[in-house]
Amino acid sequence: MKVFRYLVAAAGVIALASVTVFAGTSAAHNATVAKACNASIAIEAPLTGPVAQLGLEQLAGAKAAVGAYNKADGVHVTLGQDDTQLTPALAVTKTAAIISSNAVAIVGPSGSQEVLAVGPALTTAGLAAISGSATNVTLTTNGADKTFFRVVATDGVQGPQDANYILKHEKPKAVLIIEDEEAYSTGLGGTIQQILTAAGVTVNVQSFNGQDTGATLANDLSSIVASQLNAAETVTVMPIQEAADAQQFAEDAKQAGKTTLVFGTDGTDSSSQFFFPGSLVSNFAPDIATVNSKLDKTVTKQIKAAGTYGPFGVPSYVAAAVEVNAIASVCKAGKTPSRSNVLAAIRKTNLPANANPMGQVIKFKADGDLTTSQFYLFKINASGKYIQISTK
Amino acid sequence: MQIFIQTLVNGLTTGSLYALIALGYTMVYGVLKLLNFAHGDLFMVGAFIGYFAIGWFGGPTALTIPVPLLVIIMLVIASLGVGGLGVAIERFAYRPLRNAPRIAPLITALGISFVLENAVLLFFGGLTRYYNTPAFIPFSISIHIDGVSIGIVNIIIFAGSIILMLGLTALVNRTVLGKSMRAVASDREAAEMLGINVDRTIAMTFFIGSALAGAAGVMYGLYANQVANLIGFLAGLKAFTAAVVGGIGSIPGAMIGGMFIGLCESFSLSYISTRYGDLFVFAILIAVMLVRPTGIFGQAPLQKV
Amino acid sequence: MSPIGVDEWVARSGDRRQQHSGPLGALSRAYARVNWWQRLLVLAALGVAFGQIGANGFQQIVAFNSVLYAILAVGLNIVVGWAGLLDLGYIAFFGIGAYGYAMFSSHALGSLLTMTGGAELPTIAAVPIVLVFAGLVGMVIGLISLRLGGDYLAIVTLFFGLAFFEFVNNVDQTNLGGNNGIIALLPWHGFGGEIRSTIGYYYVVLIILILLMAALHLLNESRTGRAWRAVRDDELAAEVMTVPVNAVKVMAFSFGAMVAALAGTVFAAQQGNVFPTNFQSPILILIYACLVLGGVGSIGGAVLGGLAVTIVQQMLGSPTDEGYLFYGIILLALFWKVRPWQYLAATLAAIVGFGFAAHAIAGAISRSAIAGPTGSVGWIGSALRHWVVVPVNGETYGNILFVVVVCALIGIIRLRGIVRLVAVVPTIYFAACCWESRLSVDPAITAEIMIGGILVVMMAVRPHGILGTRRVEIV
Repeated sequence: MKVFRYLVAAAGVIALASVTVFAGTSAAHNATVAKACNASIAIEAPLTGPVAQLGLEQLAGAKAAVGAYNKADGVHVTLGQDDTQLTPALAVTKTAAIISSNAVAIVGPSGSQEVLAVGPALTTAGLAAISGSATNVTLTTNGADKTFFRVVATDGVQGPQDANYILKHEKPKAVLIIEDEEAYSTGLGGTIQQILTAAGVTVNVQSFNGQDTGATLANDLSSIVASQLNAAETVTVMPIQEAADAQQFAEDAKQAGKTTLVFGTDGTDSSSQFFFPGSLVSNFAPDIATVNSKLDKTVTKQIKAAGTYGPFGVPSYVAAAVEVNAIASVCKAGKTPSRSNVLAAIRKTNLPANANPMGQVIKFKADGDLTTSQFYLFKINASGKYIQISTK
Repeated sequence: MQIFIQTLVNGLTTGSLYALIALGYTMVYGVLKLLNFAHGDLFMVGAFIGYFAIGWFGGPTALTIPVPLLVIIMLVIASLGVGGLGVAIERFAYRPLRNAPRIAPLITALGISFVLENAVLLFFGGLTRYYNTPAFIPFSISIHIDGVSIGIVNIIIFAGSIILMLGLTALVNRTVLGKSMRAVASDREAAEMLGINVDRTIAMTFFIGSALAGAAGVMYGLYANQVANLIGFLAGLKAFTAAVVGGIGSIPGAMIGGMFIGLCESFSLSYISTRYGDLFVFAILIAVMLVRPTGIFGQAPLQKV
Repeated sequence: MSPIGVDEWVARSGDRRQQHSGPLGALSRAYARVNWWQRLLVLAALGVAFGQIGANGFQQIVAFNSVLYAILAVGLNIVVGWAGLLDLGYIAFFGIGAYGYAMFSSHALGSLLTMTGGAELPTIAAVPIVLVFAGLVGMVIGLISLRLGGDYLAIVTLFFGLAFFEFVNNVDQTNLGGNNGIIALLPWHGFGGEIRSTIGYYYVVLIILILLMAALHLLNESRTGRAWRAVRDDELAAEVMTVPVNAVKVMAFSFGAMVAALAGTVFAAQQGNVFPTNFQSPILILIYACLVLGGVGSIGGAVLGGLAVTIVQQMLGSPTDEGYLFYGIILLALFWKVRPWQYLAATLAAIVGFGFAAHAIAGAISRSAIAGPTGSVGWIGSALRHWVVVPVNGETYGNILFVVVVCALIGIIRLRGIVRLVAVVPTIYFAACCWESRLSVDPAITAEIMIGGILVVMMAVRPHGILGTRRVEIV
């Protein structure tokens, strides 16, 4: 009967699909036939979903770095893409796919939750993972993942720096902290809150659902402005991931006639979306599109050619560059790149400050954090440009 | 007192936006008994069209035409464009499912939602686009009550949604098209046998509903400034809620439902807590549904035995 | 046109009388002869056999996920397919199971554990407690369903699902973990051993699925099953016939909730952690897609849907497989729809010829128009190199082509006969060009678009799912 025809067809399709999936999983990340120095790495980022912009910027950064350093080091490294949608369960599946393939290193995962979820699997496989955006402090201290590195400073650096700057320069009596109920936000917000409270400042912590969009988001922010923002709160800290939300809050406050200094963290660094004059933004790297050095101009051009340029692209660029360099050094020593020797090579990375667009020395400690890490501070001037100021 | 007024204004504006989208939802549901989960994404497309329209006329800081004309052009283009898209979707995806079990169009709507959201992501990237309304509609154009300023955008939205609701009610009750819509909603086969062109009526219903969503998208862009490819999901959800709470299939119900939800949200966020505001809104809405199981203005469907 | 006034048995009599010849017919007759439990044993044997071949870590996880989603779809089938209640908050029960298990099996929590004496519970105690709790919650939701009907119930269950996420994400960071979830969970343990590997959990879910299918089949054939179907088809008539409608509805919710919670406990144990973001709408949409594509109301359909959707989703996650799927679907559609074979051969030849002609013309106009790289790598890319037109900066070109192809597809639907075939030829060529120049460059986004497209097309072609039965409207 007709149902049966469909059933057999469906079974055939599933069988075919299963064969291709189960037989061809390595095809996705396969290196070409081993001639010269060939290897493959993979990037795990949220390429679709609510934070797709972050993932796409990281992808562009990684692609640009792989292209540039392939040429510079004379190697042939291919980059595979894996979309995790910032969901830990999906990250576990994609990591398993990467582990089963030939990839020798990973750029990512992007989210702290994902790193927590895939850590044990990565350690068992001995696969190095360098993240450009997972900033939760416990990732390197809880010992769950011994092959995890990151090229950005942790919340443990950004939080105190921001809080101390506020205390020293703004001397507020009360501060409003607005979080977006995501892991990044609550961690950073908590750190800042502790320091401010210890210094005697009244801290008012509010949060809105960071996944809200549209009219609901407008309602959230305008409600906070109407009911929470009072005259004593001269500084509003927004450790959130969506720069446009900071801009909207600032404008809502202005419309309601309330003055407050909006202080955004690295998630809000985006000159096209957050440009409210007088605000402060802290970030782990300057926006290299505005810097005049030759290296930064070249890197900006490369990233723009590879996809969409944005602040999250630069750390992924550096992460991918570190991995390609490690692979090249393994090949130069005459060995075939494998996970263990690439991991060892990554541990020996020493990239000087003027050779990478992040402007700081890239050298890892034993637990995977950078040896020196700094955060930059920017003030937005009257025409919406980011001017770097001293953090002292 | 100031907080109260500000909250009231926020709630009414948000509520009007929800109501606009809910109107389109409820129209389509009334005629086709179809829960169109892609409706929110049509709203998103409208918002994007409005954003590009601003760009065509010089951008937010250097407009080449007067602002009222710009707003009208944006609304017209968005309505027509999204209306056309809605008709195409109906023809392509929903018509084959006219006689299918109720759950099949649900999945189709989800599929279309995926396609729309990700096609926009593919074409325009994930970067949130900024209308930058304060640059061309400054905050100074507003009414001041007791220290609270009600911007002209809020007024436009609120007035616009009431006008559109009245217009829609007139359309449904007074015109021939409205009569055929009610006939098709009541009994499709009988309407067909009576000579009403069901396909054309359903297409017109979709057109009007989608056009409303498109207009809502532009107004939302003017109010809240941010457009990104995922704004439709939550908007569609709230609109669905508004339509159901107000009584699905009833136009004044959609309006009241939208306002109710907007005000609930506003007051929960302001007076109870921003962290748990959502949970309170859910609780209130569940309570309303339990008290009036068919929505505020809904009628219990007649059961034929 | 639905056959008005004809009942279901009569409407399907045509299907029953149709006999197929050849091997397909023999197979279908053999299938019909075999008992349900024999089919189940064959399925179990296949599952165990799969576990024995040396699958690598990724394949194990995909297998585990497929069976997990099959279980979830089967549970959803009880509520949506058998009792006819639209439950949009199903994901919350899955989450309740996972979080419940986590609270009883974690080293990392606060004061709640002092309720259990500070020690984690053994699995044999934890899992049943979680199931009972989920069943009770399901019953409460079910009680709400007594008051509301149809779409109103959908809204309330949707709220429940969203409220669960908000609750777990924001309320009570110390006991529920908040954003950072609960990590380092104990694996399933008991009788001296514990299950730590994915393949172990695969066997666990396989056993659960087989037992569940058997139990539900027996339930379906019993009075309860008949009561459910009666309530779904016509509630008033069922009530008149002394079917305890309220009890039936509440029981459906309860059973569905327990199945989801069981799946949740295994999921939490296999992952070793729970995070709130694992229980949001995309997963719910996936479960619904599994159920509806497989066939609402049929256990086999739910299982088939679960397996198929998960595997296809994984296929779409890998760029090369995505290319295979894309071209494969186009060729499959041509083979299926274009009859007789002469037309098919002519169409294929025309497509190939059109392609080469277009490539030559574009190359003659401008060298850079064809100098761009093809998105597909490997043998597909090199084979199509000289056939598709891919300019150097192909992004806008690809975007425009995408819109053109979609419009063309809509136009093709309105055409008939030979004109349709003629229009199909350039459409397929443009689709291939669009794929090579734009879509395969961003495989993750394209995967989502393809999933949406597959859902739309599958529903248009077969609205009641692969193994579902057409239900007839009785006027």
